[in-house]
Amino acid sequence: MYKIILLFLLAFSLHAENEYELGKGLQAGSLPLYLGGYFSADYRHMDEEDRYRFDDLALLGYGNYDKFSYMAEFEYKTLYSYTKTQQEDTTEKDLTLHIERLYLDYNYNENYALRVGKYNSPIGFWNLLPINVLRQTTSYPVSTDILFPKFTTGLNAAYTSYSDCELHVDLMLQHNEDFDNKYNNYKIDEHYGITLLYEKENYALKANAGYFHQLENLENPQNLYYYLVSAKYEAESYEFLAEVGSQYSQNATTTPYAAYIQGLYRFTQQHIGSIRLESYKDNITNSDDSISVFAYTYRPIYPVALKSEYQLHSISTQNQLLFSISVLF
Amino acid sequence: MKPIVQIFLFVVLPFSALANEYAVVSNAKMKDLTRLEIRAIFLKKITLLDDTELVPINLEALDPLRLKFEKELLGMSFSRLKSYWTQEHYLGHRPPISMKSQESIKAFIPKIDGSIGYLNIENVNENMKILYRWSD
Repeated sequence: MYKIILLFLLAFSLHAENEYELGKGLQAGSLPLYLGGYFSADYRHMDEEDRYRFDDLALLGYGNYDKFSYMAEFEYKTLYSYTKTQQEDTTEKDLTLHIERLYLDYNYNENYALRVGKYNSPIGFWNLLPINVLRQTTSYPVSTDILFPKFTTGLNAAYTSYSDCELHVDLMLQHNEDFDNKYNNYKIDEHYGITLLYEKENYALKANAGYFHQLENLENPQNLYYYLVSAKYEAESYEFLAEVGSQYSQNATTTPYAAYIQGLYRFTQQHIGSIRLESYKDNITNSDDSISVFAYTYRPIYPVALKSEYQLHSISTQNQLLFSISVLF
Repeated sequence: MKPIVQIFLFVVLPFSALANEYAVVSNAKMKDLTRLEIRAIFLKKITLLDDTELVPINLEALDPLRLKFEKELLGMSFSRLKSYWTQEHYLGHRPPISMKSQESIKAFIPKIDGSIGYLNIENVNENMKILYRWSD
């Protein structure tokens, strides 16, 4: 943790501009290097469990030079977690600095770009902005966690076209192990995926499909296929988001469906309410659930989020109350 | 001419002559751009064009012309753009540079390939290319 604080202090001492604004990062002198970071802490209450967690502390470094740009993100995932049940108290600490993202981009021209390294799989809308402070709710939809690998380590080829609408295609290619296998929802050594995005005015539609090979999980299928269809409508004061997807192995359906629809309303820029209805069935974990999420977020300024939410599950023991504070700096 | 038409023209024409007109302008070498492409350049979705690095230039935050531009071309309010650039910071993208006055933009654009900004129409000169015009 001290490494991150020291790096940030060093950047402050090199900082060329006079004004620092939260959520914008800062430039190290006049170098093509911008530094930023984020943290998140949350509290969860369930009928038989209370958990206090300091779960994210991350440092970002990025910049660009000519046609190249880069991103490096290192994170302490679970700095401290304390869980109290009627039977026992447990404390968890992971002081390993994980590689969350590390990639180099090459912009060939206005249409084509190539990325090499570890990156957020550009699948759906949630997975592109996965950190607490940028999410609309403290929790994230189950569909973003069980259908596809959140991170890909390899190549990403992108094509973008602008005429009267934006068309964007991403091809994800991984044929090697992850930079940091512990830091992904699936341990994989292969991932091939495609994403098609159509965006016009306030609408965006996205179709995603892919295949990945899972490691170290002999009980479960290793060759998995997924698809996800996403839609978003964003206006000045409200927003709708919906995603539905499924996952298969060679022989069976592993996740018949995982879907959600979410509505968000900005009462003001500071006060935001949202409701999410989710449902999923997962044959691998033999679980299915329907979840209603009612959330309120207070953002005194955009890079600071104080969130509360209540989750009502069809499995009532899973009902929970969440509070979190998160900051992007 | 009917009196009612004369009255209409007498009342409306002076106001229409007073309507402020603005333009998105670039270095003269820039190719023609659609409104969506201009939007994508100011949102830093397009950073290269014909092998030239693009340099979108904003006026300072809350400058009245900047607010008009953001409403007309980007279709986003000041606060929505602030949240957009916070998200882009996480994705490794920086907002366009800002200049204090239209005079600075006027001086900058003819000298720098790939530069693009917006001005009151009376500040546009023959060293710039008009990409888009709009009025109040």
